[in-house]
Amino acid sequence: MTSSVMLVREHESGGVQELPLSTGPKKKRGPSRAKAGRFTPGVLLLPALVILAVVIGWPLIQLFVMSFQEFGRAQVFGADAPFVGFDNYARVLGDPQFWAVLVRSILFCLANVVTAMVLGTLVALLMNRVNRFFKVLVSVGLLLAWAMPALTATIVWGWMFDTQYGVVNYLLEAVSGQDFTNHSWLIDPFSFFVVATIIVTWGAVPFVAFTIFAGLTQVPDEVLEASQLDGAGAWQRFRLIVFPYLRSIFVVVIILQVIWDLRVFTQIFALQGIGGIKEQTSTLGVYIYQTSLGKGDYGTGGAIAVIMVLLMVAISIFYVRRSLKEEES
Amino acid sequence: MRKKTLAVTALGVTAALALAGCAGGSSSGSDQGSSDSADIRVWLNGTDTPDAARDYLKTTFESEHPGSTLTIEEQFWTGLVDKLTTNLSGSDSPDVVEVGNTQAAAFTSAGAFLDLTDKYDELGGDDLLPGFVEAGTYDGSFYAAPYYSGARLVFYKKDLLANAGLTVPTTLDQYISNGVALAQANPGVSGIYFPGQDWYNALPYIWENGGEIATQDGDTWTSSFSSPESIAGLEQVQEVMTQASVAPKDGNETDPQVPFCEGTVANLSAPSWVKGSILAPADSDAPGCPDQEANLGVYALPGKDGGAAHVFAGGSNIAVAAKSAHPDLATDALEIMLSDDYQTILGENGLVPAKVSLASTLGTDDVATAIAEAAANAKLTPASPKWADVEASGALQDFFVSIAQGGDVKSLAKELDAKIDGILNS
Repeated sequence: MTSSVMLVREHESGGVQELPLSTGPKKKRGPSRAKAGRFTPGVLLLPALVILAVVIGWPLIQLFVMSFQEFGRAQVFGADAPFVGFDNYARVLGDPQFWAVLVRSILFCLANVVTAMVLGTLVALLMNRVNRFFKVLVSVGLLLAWAMPALTATIVWGWMFDTQYGVVNYLLEAVSGQDFTNHSWLIDPFSFFVVATIIVTWGAVPFVAFTIFAGLTQVPDEVLEASQLDGAGAWQRFRLIVFPYLRSIFVVVIILQVIWDLRVFTQIFALQGIGGIKEQTSTLGVYIYQTSLGKGDYGTGGAIAVIMVLLMVAISIFYVRRSLKEEES
Repeated sequence: MRKKTLAVTALGVTAALALAGCAGGSSSGSDQGSSDSADIRVWLNGTDTPDAARDYLKTTFESEHPGSTLTIEEQFWTGLVDKLTTNLSGSDSPDVVEVGNTQAAAFTSAGAFLDLTDKYDELGGDDLLPGFVEAGTYDGSFYAAPYYSGARLVFYKKDLLANAGLTVPTTLDQYISNGVALAQANPGVSGIYFPGQDWYNALPYIWENGGEIATQDGDTWTSSFSSPESIAGLEQVQEVMTQASVAPKDGNETDPQVPFCEGTVANLSAPSWVKGSILAPADSDAPGCPDQEANLGVYALPGKDGGAAHVFAGGSNIAVAAKSAHPDLATDALEIMLSDDYQTILGENGLVPAKVSLASTLGTDDVATAIAEAAANAKLTPASPKWADVEASGALQDFFVSIAQGGDVKSLAKELDAKIDGILNS
């Protein structure tokens, strides 16, 4: 058993050593390839670029134009849309409601990223330790949670937290003996977001867990073993060995989580239909929807959306730069 | 080798058959001549339209238009304005759509519906419900025909009322005091079921106290939830929500038959068709409690000074989408829905028919009597094209949830007025 593992590892390390050698001849071959087809990379990129331009670029341009127009329901059905300059932006930035929504979204996002990262990492570490049977069992459970559409999940969680007939109230009353009859979980904004965090985290943990679990398999056992012999505890091994090895994975996962949680829509929107006060619980995505489709003010909604796009671009640039650095190193 | 030959032959035969099929199809198509056949999509909302009426519409349309089909696609009332806005403006628009009477103006004013002014007399003319014709008319053109109207009635448990030694109330004050007394006598039971988001049921309290939702002066609308009269009504709403109701403070008004059948509701103010939901057979998709039929009473919400209260006149309009690919066929379908036969089916199922002359089809039972009483005094929401935006913004639901939580009525009403003014006059 041990010897075969060692063999594999020797092979792996051999592969790593070979890497610089293989890049050598590539560089030599480089110029001749460029001669053969200077435009090949561009041509190969073209289909993807065209699809991106049509599917993402064109709507973005439309959105950008709309954010400078007076665009209501009549304009949706074909009336002319007059340009109003920065009026929409001025209205959005001068609206305390917008700032409240923005701060709320950021706080919600941070809470969710931290919770999902901590739980996801713990699950990944657990999967690394248990035997094959439990590894499969946990994986299947995670996959099921991941495969569940967000809307379905929210409605089922909503039933569990239902004011009149929810199982959560029933169990809490049975266990604690306190009176939870008709306790509304959604009416108080804080407890609304606790429920929302449970739902969002429940959906996010599988991705975090799988990604980090995949990363954990790359941490060499010898190093861990050696440190253990030197007397490093579990926490020290994680902090000083596992984490540095997986740093880049953590950074990428965290950035993706930030982007996903900042634009959360389905869970909040569906929960607001079940209960709670919309004005106190809207996040950016839902707020854009309410302004655009609810109030029929597409111009203002567009302005908020553009601001959100800029925010996302700022975070994404960080992500892209990070992954470019990874490729270079 | 033989296998290959066989395969090629099989392919050839299949191709020949397929081609023949195509030819047959196209020749029979041209035989039918000019009347183009199509699939007409009709959007109906919720379960309000009874199955008998749906079947009648489909069979009648398809027998009158051989080759064409009619598909009914059921939509949710929740979020309907958003959904109609996106779908009616797209290339894949439904042909005929039902829209809430208070939402109609948002679409007639935006040009989303086909102009039906020429068809007005054919559809029923002055026999059509006047308030709904008004809701479907914009700038002198008639876009959305009345579909049905529904009055809000109070359903009650006869035994609970009798056990508490109470009688059917004759004034609004007595209705409230009955509700509070019933809630105190039966812990865990709503004397009057009033979930926080149910703003339709709050309107009678405002109107009965002399208040209005909003008033119009020229082009300007003034929201008047904070007028002294409205405040008096809103304080009554708060009394009912906090002292007579154990419904969720942030719940909505859907599926009221569930708590009613569970036995935790004494009085339930709801649209007339809820009777059907309460008495639905135990084996249906949404079971009710048919065994309670003898115990189920009904009356029209009493007004402040006796008689029937001003209740909200809910109901629907029906229109042809401006972007319908087959406007003639769609208009034919709409005509069937306004025919006497179709509207009679609606009347027999407890919906007030779109034609005044068919009012008798409601029958003569206690529900019909209560509907007639309530409908006579029913009122509508402000006739502004922007009113649908107020509804869609969710501000009304937020406001009444805050009231249900025991918030300060006066300051909340002032905030709401500012919001509504902003939307109506934007």
